[in-house]
Amino acid sequence: MVVATTSIWADVTENVACDGLADVQTIVPLGGDPHSFEASLKDRETMEGAALIVANGLLLEESLSDTIDAVEQGGVAVVRVAESVDTLDGGDHDDETDHDDETDHDDETDHDDESEDTHDHAGEDPHVWFDPVRVAQTLPVIADGLVAAGIDRDAVDACVADYTADLEATDATAAAIVDELPVEQRLLVTNHDSLSYFADRYDFEVLGTVIPSPSSLAETNPADLEALATLVEETGVPAIFAETQHTSSDAEALADRVGDVAVVSLLTGTLDEPGTPSGTYVGWLTENARTIVDALTV
Amino acid sequence: MEFLTDPWSWWVSPFVDNEFMRDALLAGVLTVLTTSLVGTWVVLRGMSFLGDALAHGVLPGIAIAFIIGVDTSIGALVAAGVMVGGISLIRRHSPLPDDTSIGVLFVGFLALAVVIMSSQQASYTGDLNRFLFGSITGLDSSDLVRQAIAAAIAIVGVVVFYRAFLVMTFDESLARMLGLRPGLAQAALLVLLAISIVASFESVGNLLVFAFLIAPPAAASLLARRVPVIMALAVVLGTVATYVGILLSYHHESAAGATMALCSVVIFFLVLTITALRSTLAGRRRPGEPTIDQPVQAAQRP
Repeated sequence: MVVATTSIWADVTENVACDGLADVQTIVPLGGDPHSFEASLKDRETMEGAALIVANGLLLEESLSDTIDAVEQGGVAVVRVAESVDTLDGGDHDDETDHDDETDHDDETDHDDESEDTHDHAGEDPHVWFDPVRVAQTLPVIADGLVAAGIDRDAVDACVADYTADLEATDATAAAIVDELPVEQRLLVTNHDSLSYFADRYDFEVLGTVIPSPSSLAETNPADLEALATLVEETGVPAIFAETQHTSSDAEALADRVGDVAVVSLLTGTLDEPGTPSGTYVGWLTENARTIVDALTV
Repeated sequence: MEFLTDPWSWWVSPFVDNEFMRDALLAGVLTVLTTSLVGTWVVLRGMSFLGDALAHGVLPGIAIAFIIGVDTSIGALVAAGVMVGGISLIRRHSPLPDDTSIGVLFVGFLALAVVIMSSQQASYTGDLNRFLFGSITGLDSSDLVRQAIAAAIAIVGVVVFYRAFLVMTFDESLARMLGLRPGLAQAALLVLLAISIVASFESVGNLLVFAFLIAPPAAASLLARRVPVIMALAVVLGTVATYVGILLSYHHESAAGATMALCSVVIFFLVLTITALRSTLAGRRRPGEPTIDQPVQAAQRP
């Protein structure tokens, strides 16, 4: 059995172990917030019994991280997928410079160097799954984990090849959807800081965030909100993006203040029920691209 | 109904099969031991609000320690010290009652923690949330060692200061007359309180520490009048809450720390119901007589 922390990584892992090569279980339930999910002792047992744990890492699973560390110390293999890709800095939304800073990272060595100490990653934005190209970069790491857990290398490699092609197709689909939107209209105002990787991949600019910190104890301040409102007015952004698993009251207050702005909810950290359009990662990304582009089309 | 139909596999075998279950139980029992001994005095002296304030008042210390990279326990201990100092400062320089000065510092410290965390804009350094709820699902051996030390300090402290605490609780002027220095005893009690909170927040979380500090001693004080008996009963009730809470979290996949805290509060209400029913029945048999088992502290509050 393989355990993934979130439904998104569970779906990706199932595709790396395609045709049922591994039984994949999820810890954070559908619709749950990976930042604040509190584990039960049953979850601990599930993790203990896993041949491999696929976690996002980069402190996404804040309330689960002690449990994951303890299970890892007990000898269970853990793959922290976000640590195997080029990450963006949490604080800086200027994707151009951000990206340049980190393009010299070699994925493989990067992972080897830093997998020992997760604390080196403080400050990096964990929401890497918003970019299908980065998700494709995690597949070899997940595959290695699965092979080490005893699954046949050739079978896994075949899955990785298929799914990489799927992800490339998804990237092309999302890019085609985004192409409907002129570049000057690709402006994102979000409730919580989670769309930076989407912005980085599809040439959006993150104008601002209502609550620029993932901490549930963090609050916004009136001056920042006012500055953001002015920015929204000046740029004429037609929509602000909130998330289904967070309260959107501040985003709605901002929308009220500005007037002619819609608050659009996105499914960010979780998939939808199986069978729905957002029930798989591939469908989820396409749906979100569609929602974002539709909301920004005036 | 499995806990009735198949008691062994519901009540026992999870602990036999899993080391993490034994660790969680051990951490819970060590917490109960510490908090029951200290919490009995907290309940009897009517200091529950201070206990709550301290449990949350350590948060800015943790936040600052987190940011500057110092051990969070040290930050928590410093914050607890500053808070206690602030309360006695207000007491000395104003006619305000204690709960007002505690309230002012409580809200001040909590707000400070939020301001500090909000200033850490968009740096993914984790969350204070996990200190509220702890992670009894992810204990390591240093957590257990720290809690064992805290339990040892609590036992020694309560034995050494037993007479002073007792006299101070029931008659402060008598304590002064006997040369027991109530100020020193009060300070010792606050130190023990701070230690029991700080030792436990990373493993079981502040919410659970506070639940165990108040609910089991409060329930025990409804059942007994002698302080050592209250302490022993509090340990027993707290241990039952821990044991049942861990099993409920295991069998029903509920958040571990919060389930244990909830169990201790449920046990308090069960005890309250039983004692209330008992005194109602006793009152019906002997009309006119005062009801038995008035909580000890009721007569002692100034």
